[in-house]
Amino acid sequence: MKKLFELLDRYLIPVMTKLSEQRHLRAIRDGIISTIPLIIVGSFFMIIAFPPIPALAAMVKPYANQILLPFRFTMGLMALYACHSIGYHLAKSYNLDGVSGGLLALAAFFLTSVPVSMENKGLALLMENLGGGGMFVAIIMAIFAVEVLRFAKERKLTIRMPEGVPDSVARSFEALIPAALIIPAVWLVRDVVGFDIQQFVMGLFQPLVLAGNSLAGVLTPIILITLLWATGIHGDSVVGTVARPIWLVLLDQNIAAAAAGQPIPNIAPEPFFQWFVWIGGSGATIGLVFLMLRSRSPYLRSVGKATLLPGICNINEPVIFGVPVMLNPLLFVPFLVGPVVAGTLTYFAMQLELVTKPYILVPWTLPAPIGAYLATGGDWRAMVLVLVNISIVTGLYYPFFKAYERKLLSEEANLIQEEAR
Amino acid sequence: MKVLLVCSGGMSSAIVVKAIEKEAEREGLSMVVKSVGTGELAEELKNGWNLVLVAPQVRHRLDELRQKASVHNVPVALIPPQGYSPLGGAIVLAEIKKLGS
Repeated sequence: MKKLFELLDRYLIPVMTKLSEQRHLRAIRDGIISTIPLIIVGSFFMIIAFPPIPALAAMVKPYANQILLPFRFTMGLMALYACHSIGYHLAKSYNLDGVSGGLLALAAFFLTSVPVSMENKGLALLMENLGGGGMFVAIIMAIFAVEVLRFAKERKLTIRMPEGVPDSVARSFEALIPAALIIPAVWLVRDVVGFDIQQFVMGLFQPLVLAGNSLAGVLTPIILITLLWATGIHGDSVVGTVARPIWLVLLDQNIAAAAAGQPIPNIAPEPFFQWFVWIGGSGATIGLVFLMLRSRSPYLRSVGKATLLPGICNINEPVIFGVPVMLNPLLFVPFLVGPVVAGTLTYFAMQLELVTKPYILVPWTLPAPIGAYLATGGDWRAMVLVLVNISIVTGLYYPFFKAYERKLLSEEANLIQEEAR
Repeated sequence: MKVLLVCSGGMSSAIVVKAIEKEAEREGLSMVVKSVGTGELAEELKNGWNLVLVAPQVRHRLDELRQKASVHNVPVALIPPQGYSPLGGAIVLAEIKKLGS
């Protein structure tokens, strides 16, 4: 087991963390995270428009379209928001003007769309391409725009303002030449040559999205995240850097289907992991916390008490570093196997339509049964599944927890003996 | 002394902040402790801090965080994993004292 941790430390951790610290991926991560508040608040209007109580649902039904507007202008334009903030963060990482980066990214992204003509009303953009479906296009265009901005700056392709011009004015002119490169370039490709960038990019990433929704696509992030956490590295933030765009696309497809009254297609957007797998935090440690509450070891009991409340809110760093679970060969087994079992079980429960697939993003600090209930648009069976998962992982932790408890108790006894001497 | 704790989202370090405050109070030390997420660090550093402590689970981003702190000449250290819990106040406080002296 010690060997395993050494191997992880030598091979997996450096590769994964390097990947997650790669500049563009980091900008994508920070950019997407900036949009999460909009997505959470926006998707809450889904619950208002389609409340889980039938009587209430019938009452609000005539107003559903109006109620859904905040959702459509947040979640429905997710790629737009993400594009701007990815451009901003990437530019910042190069020490370039963030606002210029964001605006150039937006311009490049908009230019991949072709407006449709509305009779007597002028031109309209299809919102569909500005939402989750356009996420990968937004990412690529943001990177393209900021790289041009950087290229221009490095080659000194900027318009120099005379001394005395205020800094902010000078900075905005720095983007002039990059804009003159970006806008015609995208226009040439999209509108003159007629190459449909959006269709091409969506087709390119389609296999990735499909893979993300398969059982292997569910278990891979689960295993990677727990392996990272087992060595004390923030697994979700590392793996999420790569996986979150895919999870968001899956979520967007689900929520769009739900809003249109169609069956929900995807099992594995992020709420799947959040509510049904990472119960009490990564590694589904809530089971371990419950066991610690009644431990015979005073130390584990005090850790249990101190970690119960954070655990209910899915914060488990205190468990991972306090117990500790990190580099703990005894607890490693249930820490890894528990989430894998919970994930597999949930996957099949959703595939067999025993439980509604999640389509709403709610704040991750809610207690898991409530979060699962809301994330599935108010399916009580989701709560039952969470409780089943909790009992399974608690059972899995039990023998290993007992072994660890015995080890601690004998160590504590030795300590007392030594002190007595 | 003003100590800034950094973790991924500023959530888990808030727990450790409480533990440090409790321990500092017990020892009669006056200390300002605050937690932020990695994304807020650069902004928060402008408010003047003496020391930045990095949570163990984001240690793979230490270089990047150190760079941000170096702009303001603030030293950066890692929180020992065993101190990163509600019961770890004494461990982290000892570390702070060691670094502060």
